[in-house]
Amino acid sequence: MRLVLCAVYVSMGAVLSAIPNMTRRELLFAVPVPPAFRESRAGRHAISRFRTAIAAAVLAGVCALLLSPAELLNATAAAVPIAILLAFVISFYWQNRKLAPAAVQYTRSREAELTAAPEELPRFAWLATGPFVILAAAARWLYLNWNRIPARFPVHFDAGGQPNRWAERTTKGVYGPLFFGAELCAWFLIMALAGWFGSRRSRSRSVMLGGVIAIEYLLGLLFALIAVQALLGIPVWVIALSPMVILIPLIIVMTNKMSEPREPMDPTPNDCWKGGIFYYNPNDAALFVERREGLGYTFNFANRWSWMLLLSLALVIASAPFVLA
Amino acid sequence: MAQNPRIRVDPVSGIPVVRQIADSLRVLFVEGQLVPGTALPSVRRVAMELGVHFNTVAEAYRQLAAEGWLDLKHGRGALVVPRVIPAVKNGAWTEDFRNRLRGMVAQMRSQGISPASIAAELRAMAKVVTRT
Repeated sequence: MRLVLCAVYVSMGAVLSAIPNMTRRELLFAVPVPPAFRESRAGRHAISRFRTAIAAAVLAGVCALLLSPAELLNATAAAVPIAILLAFVISFYWQNRKLAPAAVQYTRSREAELTAAPEELPRFAWLATGPFVILAAAARWLYLNWNRIPARFPVHFDAGGQPNRWAERTTKGVYGPLFFGAELCAWFLIMALAGWFGSRRSRSRSVMLGGVIAIEYLLGLLFALIAVQALLGIPVWVIALSPMVILIPLIIVMTNKMSEPREPMDPTPNDCWKGGIFYYNPNDAALFVERREGLGYTFNFANRWSWMLLLSLALVIASAPFVLA
Repeated sequence: MAQNPRIRVDPVSGIPVVRQIADSLRVLFVEGQLVPGTALPSVRRVAMELGVHFNTVAEAYRQLAAEGWLDLKHGRGALVVPRVIPAVKNGAWTEDFRNRLRGMVAQMRSQGISPASIAAELRAMAKVVTRT
């Protein structure tokens, strides 16, 4: 189990290290720069410093995980990803501040097409219902095999892969993960729709919609696996690594689509980006804008609907103790 | 398929965005690219595409409605309507028009545009005006 956790954390470090490559060439650490800046000495130096910080955090985390005594394993397993994320945030912000003086403001005029035709979702949007079908199918299968489910089965495991919490064969114990998965999928479905109707028309918008639907599938499959493991006894490492099956291809596809876009960069004002990560522009009607770091879109935090969406996510997460056994 | 007309906003032009939107739409009305009966997109959609506040677009729509170009019905969006051309006292407008043109020509020349290019543009514009 230690090796599985190490693999997960190394993958996490690899993805975070690749973030400078997941954006347009005109952006580096969320700072708009001339396209050739990346290859300059200063650009390469900034990327190298950023990656060194993350690699150091991953290396320290892996060593701690492999060397920690069994009684400290759970705490170490929880602390390592936090430490890696902290290294990422601090290093990213540090490079963002260092490059900020070199920022250029891309000031492109914006156009609006004058059509009153209603905004239509792309055809592939119906795929967003798939995860609910998966969860419903898992529920149906558990219902049909109810008598085969053990009276008591493990639902939580420690960092060593040993079960440390059990559930009874009750409606809540058996269907709880499926219901919670459905809640999360519903939230992502709302995000997908809000992202489509609350952002500017562009090709990246379809990529973003596809990405959110893929995450919905990831969650649907993950919670279906968690639910059926009561009956099938799926090894915990299979469940832990299963998100990678969707996550890795998703990151590769989205990186290819988003890093070489056919459209110019959305000319959002530089001074509306806080730390290069948070967009706050009360004069922009868009709810979502293209991010300047990483893949996809981000909220316009000046729009009250962004806070409503985040609040609804907080409510979904807060419902976990009531839904899960 | 014919492309839908578009309006453009330049955030750093120095001209207020409300005026840019109203001017662009007025040009489309006058040139006949937006004919009476055409429904304009919602304030929300235009504001989102242009990256401006809802109120900015709403104000431009209100200005054009006050000029008689648009009919704004609550919940039904903005509709281009036939406009009664007001009677103009002979000669009263020319002074104002020339002053505005002079101002614009001076601005272009101060930006380095050659007098020959400006004259060519004015001739092309004259052709468009006589056509519409």
